Amino acid sequence: MFERFTTQAREAVVAAREQAHLLHHGYIGCEHLLLALSDGHDTAAADALAAFGVDTATLREHVIDVAGPGGAGLDADALASLGIDLDAVRRVTEDSFGRGALDRGPHQRGRPTSGGRIPFTPDAKKALELALRAAVRSGNCEISAGHLLLGVIDQRDNGALRVLKAAGVPPGALRQEVAERLASAA
Amino acid sequence: MDEGVQLAEAASSRDPATGLRAIRALRDLAERLEALQVDNARRQGWSWQEIAAELGVSRQAAHKKHARRMRGR
Repeated sequence: MFERFTTQAREAVVAAREQAHLLHHGYIGCEHLLLALSDGHDTAAADALAAFGVDTATLREHVIDVAGPGGAGLDADALASLGIDLDAVRRVTEDSFGRGALDRGPHQRGRPTSGGRIPFTPDAKKALELALRAAVRSGNCEISAGHLLLGVIDQRDNGALRVLKAAGVPPGALRQEVAERLASAA
Repeated sequence: MDEGVQLAEAASSRDPATGLRAIRALRDLAERLEALQVDNARRQGWSWQEIAAELGVSRQAAHKKHARRMRGR
């Protein structure tokens, strides 16, 4: 599927994984795709988000708020109250089992040493599918970063939509902004 | 104030919210580490009985808790 992605769309997917790792989240969700897309250069997605005055740093704060301390990650503060340095535990664990090893929940399948490959959430996978559909509908043979953002927005609810809501960005208006930019670029 | 003293004070706090939150965080951490270590042991050929013995649980309990995640490994 990724062979039909533009370079920027592919970079966004790679960057989304990186965003998840940086936040120590054990999954790649739509919110990480959103962060990656906002950080793009010269894409319909990044420009549309910039038009609403939100930058990656702001969105990241909202991602952290929306996820919550016990939500996706381990509660570093609470562990510190017991004298446990989570960073130290993470370092040692990752030395043995690879990057992101401690971030994967105990219920998630997959070998710990599979190169730190944290999985996509079902919503994130859905976003990729919807991005493909959006590209096909608009007569493109390539899926661009803009189509990825549409794939994220065109769902009823996901982490990214919650982040956008918290950041005061109306999804409908954002969708229009992206669509217009994609149309004028075609 | 010395950081060590601060930590000790938080840990011995009589506020249940603080204490229970710390327990939950510790349990989450233990669960993740247990999953990593059990997977690692299985990959190195340890039997469920051997793993259970180290964990101090029954073979059945270890298998029930971890086997599904590993799906026949």
